[in-house]
Order: sequence, then structure tokens, then C-alpha cells
Amino acid sequence: MLELKNIEKYYNTGSVNEMCLFEDFTLSVEAGEFVSVVGSNGSGKTSMLNIICGSISVDRGSILINQEDITHMPEFKRQRRIGRVYQNPAMGTCPAMTILENMALADNKGKSFNLRRGTNRQRIDYYRDQLKTLGLGLEDKLQVKVGVLSGGQRQAIALLMSTMTPIEFLILDEHTAALDPKTADIIMELTEQVVREKRLTTIMVTHNLRFAVEYGSRLLMMHQGRVIIDEVGAAKAGLQINDILDQFNAISIECGN
Amino acid sequence: MSILIGVIEEGLIYAIMTLGVYITYKILDFPDLSVDGTFPMGAAITAALILKGVPPVLTLFFAFVFGAAAGCITGLIHVKLRVRDLLSGIIMMTALYSVNLRIAGKANLPIFSQETIFGNVWLDENVPKVMLPWLTAIILFIIVLVCKVLLDLYLQTRSGYLLRAVGDNEVLVTSLAKDKGAVKILGLAIANGFAALAGSIYCQEKGFFEISVGTGTMVFGLASVIIGTKILKRFRFVKATTAVIIGSIVYKGCVSVAIAMGMEASDLKLITSILFLLILIASNSRGKRGRVHA
Amino acid sequence: MKKRSKMIMMATMAALLTTGCGSQKEKPGTTADTAVTEKSADAENQSGGNNEAAYVIGIGQFAEHGSLDNCREGFLAGLAEAGIIKGQNLTVIYENAQADGGTASQIIDNFVAQKADMICAIATPMAQSAYGAAKKNNIPVIFTAVTDPVAAELANADGTPVGEITGTSDKLPVGKQLEMIRTMLPDAKKIGIMYSTSEINSISAIEEYKSIAGDFGFEIVVQGISTVADVPQAADSLLGKVDCISNLTDNTVVSALPVILSKAEKLGIPVFGSEIEQVRIGCLATVGLDYINLGEQTGKMAAKVLKGEMKASEMNFEVISEASFYGNNKVAENLGIDIPEELKASAAGLFDEIAAE
Repeated sequence: MLELKNIEKYYNTGSVNEMCLFEDFTLSVEAGEFVSVVGSNGSGKTSMLNIICGSISVDRGSILINQEDITHMPEFKRQRRIGRVYQNPAMGTCPAMTILENMALADNKGKSFNLRRGTNRQRIDYYRDQLKTLGLGLEDKLQVKVGVLSGGQRQAIALLMSTMTPIEFLILDEHTAALDPKTADIIMELTEQVVREKRLTTIMVTHNLRFAVEYGSRLLMMHQGRVIIDEVGAAKAGLQINDILDQFNAISIECGN
Repeated sequence: MSILIGVIEEGLIYAIMTLGVYITYKILDFPDLSVDGTFPMGAAITAALILKGVPPVLTLFFAFVFGAAAGCITGLIHVKLRVRDLLSGIIMMTALYSVNLRIAGKANLPIFSQETIFGNVWLDENVPKVMLPWLTAIILFIIVLVCKVLLDLYLQTRSGYLLRAVGDNEVLVTSLAKDKGAVKILGLAIANGFAALAGSIYCQEKGFFEISVGTGTMVFGLASVIIGTKILKRFRFVKATTAVIIGSIVYKGCVSVAIAMGMEASDLKLITSILFLLILIASNSRGKRGRVHA
Repeated sequence: MKKRSKMIMMATMAALLTTGCGSQKEKPGTTADTAVTEKSADAENQSGGNNEAAYVIGIGQFAEHGSLDNCREGFLAGLAEAGIIKGQNLTVIYENAQADGGTASQIIDNFVAQKADMICAIATPMAQSAYGAAKKNNIPVIFTAVTDPVAAELANADGTPVGEITGTSDKLPVGKQLEMIRTMLPDAKKIGIMYSTSEINSISAIEEYKSIAGDFGFEIVVQGISTVADVPQAADSLLGKVDCISNLTDNTVVSALPVILSKAEKLGIPVFGSEIEQVRIGCLATVGLDYINLGEQTGKMAAKVLKGEMKASEMNFEVISEASFYGNNKVAENLGIDIPEELKASAAGLFDEIAAE
């Protein structure tokens, strides 16, 4: 349902630093897939996400969602159908607003932001239930400003917020990278739970090879703007970390990492 | 006593503009200098319209609308032409000097002989004599109260949430599939609408329009916002909008005290700067106003 | 934090107190009850002096330059002639708005708060601020150096007061000035006038210039500025197009007059002033007003109101009609121009030097 066709992207065109990131890059993601993407630094995994979301433009090529060409659609319009969780827990929520207000904001995605009440009283129970599933005790803290919460708590809320309204797929941009191992585990379990329950097509970029292997139905390893490993389904399920670790080290050494 | 009433009156007039600065500076995190141009714009429009026979109350709405339009342009310059926030405001402020001159027709437009919201036939007939010395203050209080309540209500709507979000974490606004540029423009429009409204009331209270009344508006607004929010931080139950109104009156009071104590009015700008600096120091020592932080 | 903010507050108070108590030029007492003991230099002691209650007058001057300063001095002299003498039975609170409308308003508020018996407002924006505030507080206002009180709505079209406000007007004797210029420069064709777009008096003066310039065979070229900072460039532009420059009583332009004079001198272009002070500092000549006289006339009107002989609302505003020729021989010498004998003979004053401002 998501297709990237013949994507070309150069950075710093015309200058000494000109760098070709993607050259004739093509990728297809089917509905319902949970894709884990790993790769060395500079391999283009985050850029690929940004291209899909529209944060950066492409020089050539097209992006299609369900056959619809969205290559020239502005970023905010694309986000209608996309949920995104960032690496920085601060980017997914509003620190000066309360948990309740943040949930209410997210709940309104896709609808008109008019002069009706910001928080729909009747939905408060629903928000509480959603927060309960996180198991972090946040359902009792609806009036607390998000800014005082920990990174893990904010990321959990961000996850809920990005999936609250119907979306076509979920983009996870190293969303556990800034968290401590324990919290990262919790968030990953939550992620899997949410993806499963809502049957979301998901693309997850991660540095954590263990997560990449354990979670998801498809694994991509990228290097210098190309996909060098692509395992799906049963083959992917059978992967062990060591299998890809060797390959990973090889490309890392090549890059000088 | 009359000093106190004078301070409250002027503080209230400027408080309306301060509500606007609160929106741009605190909520949107956008230092908007165009208020130096939209405040006198409200005054110019009001004087011009009143002289044409437009009912004074109606001029308030016109002033707001025109101020909002000017704010939109500031926003468009910033969003579409990608000019920095500070510079967009400066461009507008400079342009509006000429525009205001055109609107008024001349640099000084008296309306002493005309009816205003503070002096008209209806008031003469309906207000008991004993209330007269307080009349201006009462009218102002009502207007400011209405503005404040409307603003508070707005900030509780979905649109208001979005406005708060864009100044707090604009990435989230994009994630919510909304155009953050459009939201900023809306915020600037509302804020400058308030500034122009304040200018309109100022002109009606003073009885004339003078081209130089705009200078220093932004500084006044900023100082009031900062005083209000810092001094009243302890009092949780006081809403931010109330706090900035009080801040406006307090700031005006400080200036009046300084002059009454013997400082020359020509030192006013220096007094303002020093006061402002002291407040900023006092407010910065506990926590910085940061952008998105984890 | 608490301690720190307390310290800051105390430091502020200390600073304000020390500066407040500091002595400044022409700054008399600040409360209605302190009588200042300095004597005014030009006060003539009339012994039938009223030594009853002390009067408090707030003098608000809109901008700082020679003409307005002369007005103020004349005002005090006029009061003194009527027996109201600064330092004896009069306390003066003087504030200058430095051409800022907001400051002007603040000054008036202060006068009202200090319970002044009268406000003397020098220049139109100050007079307007005063009128508004005084209306509410029943303080009579005497204005001076307001070129067109009717246009400023400070007086009715027939000259009668609109309230407890009256004063004097410094309408320029445009016709006489043009006549004088023609006498001094028989061949000149274009007269340049620089004015500030923010001063209403200038606009009406220019209208008058334009309407009668043709009678004397002149064409008027105008140059507008918005702030003092614009003056140098505007001067360069204007001086390139004209044979001479004539000044209005434009506060902004006059405050930057030295700049214009130095540029004009280099090009050998005469600058005609609108008032005696301007001639003293380097303008060639003027048929102008003596602002000290204007001030004195105003002071006498004010005295009548203070003493209760007449109310401000009963006195029409007065216009000074005496215009005299003043010339500067040194400037004429520098420009290679001869001041005609008939003008010299009728001159009210001739300067032989160019004074530093």
C-alpha cells in the first residue's frame, strides 16, 4: 500500500559537499506489514522516513499510498493518514498542556479544529481507559502538565496520541533510542500491542538489532541508500541477531564506524 | 486617589493590548513588533470613522478587524516569505506608519467635539451624576473583562488548543495534520486585533489621534506580560489572562510612581528599560523559557 | 530566589530615590507644598504681589528647541509682570515630552496628580493631551505655540473657547516672509520647505505657502520627513533643487536645524528662519515671531485666569500679529548677499555673529 518509486535525493546540490543519498530507490510495503529498518549511520533510514512523511522533498521519483500519488502533498496534509512517533520524547506531546488536553488534541486529528469545546467531556473515560493500558498510572494524572513527566511516560503518551485516530500507517523513528533499557522494553511491548490491536501497517527505524529481530514481520537493513537485507515472514521469524550482526559489522567497518 | 484612578484607567486601556502580546509572546513564542503599528492603527481608524459619523461603539469592531488584518499580513510575511519573526513585525510596524498617516489623513486628528464611548448622549442621560468620576474606569473595566473572558473561552476551544500547541510544540501541530503556519497567522491576527482595539479605546479616551502614540507599545506589552506572569506565579488560581491585565496596571503604576517621585518624563524610556531589565533578571533566575525540552 | 528578588527590589528603590532627589537643570519642587527658593532671573518684582496661596503651574513643553524654550521664558516673564513670580508665590513643574505623544500624556497625568492649578501646554500635541485630561479634572489650560487651535479642535471656528482652555497661536506670517524673501533674493524662483509628516501645523502652513507663493513669483518645493534621522538626506535632496529654504515652526525640523544650515552653507544656499532663535544660529533672516513676546502675552492671559479675573472659557485665543524682521549680517556676508537698507532700517534685531546652538 506504500510505494516509493525511483526516489532520487541529493543533499547540498551544487556545493562541494554534494552527496547522493538515494539513487533510483524503490520500496514497497504491503498493508499490515510491520517493517523494522536497521542500518549504519548515514544509510538513509531516517531520511527515508522523512521522505515518506514529507519533511524533506525528493528530487525525482514518486511516493504512493494506496495508488494515490502524494509526492507533492505538503507534510501536514500527509499526516492525516500517518501517525508518527519521534526519537525525542518531547516532540510528540505539548509540555505546557495537561495529559487530558494532549489526548483531546490527538483525538481531534482529522476533524475540524473549530470553536467547540477543546475537551469532549464524554470522551474522558475513553482516554482513561487508553492510559490504563499503558500500565504507568497516568490515568490518574489527567490534570498534570506533560512537561513534568519522564521521557518514557511522554513517549508512551505520544504513542497513544499518534494512534488514537484512524491512520493508515505508523512511523516509528527510533522511538526507543532516547529511553533507558527498561523503559524501552515497555514501550516496545506497548508498540507491539497497539500495532496488533489496531492492525496498523508500521515502519520502525531502530538502532537496536534485538528489537528489529524480535518485533515485526519484515526486516530491512539499509546501507548507503540501498536495501541490502530484506527478510519477510517465516524467513524473518527465523532470523537470529547474529545472522544480521555480521552483516551489520561488515557495513559498519566499511563506513569506518 | 485620582492618581490611582488614572493609573487604573491607563493600565486597563493598555491591558487589552497586553492580552494581544500575551498571545504572541507567551503562547506563540513570537516577539511581535507590529503592535507598535497596529495600536496607532486602531486609533487612526477610530478617529477617521468617528469624524465620518460612524457610531463610536462600531469603531471598536472596525479597529479590531483591521488590526487582525494587519496581523495576518505579518503572519503571511513570516510564514510564506519565510522572514524571521522579529523582522516581520518590524516590517509591518514601519509600513503601518505610512498607512496610518493615510488613514487619518494627517498626523494629528482631534475628535474632542465628537461623541465617543466615554462621552455621549446616551451616557449623559443614563448615568447618575455620582458615578461620573468613575465612569471611564467602569467602562474600561467592562470592556477589559469582556475581552478577557472571550479570550479565556477561546483558549478552551479546539482552535484555542491548537494555538497553544503551535507555540509549545509546532511539530505536533503538523503531526495533527494541521498547517502550523495558518495557526500562527490566526494567532497574530487575534493579537493585533486586540492591539488595534486598545488603540481605538485610547484614541476615544484621549480625544485625539496623534501619529506618535505607537512607539513603545510592544515594550509596554512585554513588560506587563512578564510582570504579570512572574509576580502572580505563586497564585495558581489566577489565570494567566488576569495576571497580564494586573501586570499592565502594575507596570503603569511603577512608571507613574517614578515620575511622581521626581524623575523627568523625558527619562521615561530609561526608567522603562531599567525596570524591564530588572524584571527580566528576576524572572530568568528561576527557569528559562525554553522551547521543546524533554 | 526570594532573597535575590528582594535585593533587586531594594536596589531599584534605592536607584529611583537617588536619581529622584538629584538636582537637574530647571527642575523645581515636585509637590504642591514645597516652595522653591530659587528666583527667576527675569522676574520683575511687582510689589502689590499676591502673597496668598501659592500657585502651582504645570508647564508641559512638547519638544526641546529654541522657539519653544523662548515661549516658556516669555510665559514666566508675563506671569511675573502680573505679580505671579516663580519662587515667591508660584511653583512651576516643568516637563519636556521630547516630541513623544505617549510621554506628553504621561506628563499631563502627572500634573493632574500633583493638583496643579493650571496647565500651560506648549505646542499642539501637548495642548490636546492637556485638554482631554483637564476637562475631567477642571483644571484650566493655557496653550501657546499652537499654530491652528481651530483645526486642533481646541477652539471653535469663531475663536471662542471650547472649555476652560485658551491661549495664543503662532500662526506664521507667510505673506510677509515671502515678501521679505523676494526683496532679499530678487532672482530666486524656488523655495524649499522641509516638514515633518507627523506635525499637523506644518501641513496647514504649507497650504498657505503654496496658495500665495505664486503672487510673489515663487514655486514651493516640499520635502517631507518622518523623524529627525531623515533630515540629513532630505536636506541633501532638497538643497539640490531649490534657490533657498524657508522654515516652518516644525518642531522636528527646527530641532535638527544646525544640520540643514551646515549643508546649506556649503552650497551657498540661504536658509530663512521662522523665528528669531533660528536667525541667531545661522539662518539668513526672518520676518517672524518673537516667541518671547508670544510667551509674555500668554503669561498675562494665564495670570488673569489664576487671579480669578477672568475664566479661560471667557477668553478667545489670541494671535500674535506683530512680525518683525531679523537678519544675520554674518550669514549674509558668508553668502555674499547684501541685506537691503530698508530692511536693515526696520529690523527689530540684527545679529553680527553666528551663535553656537
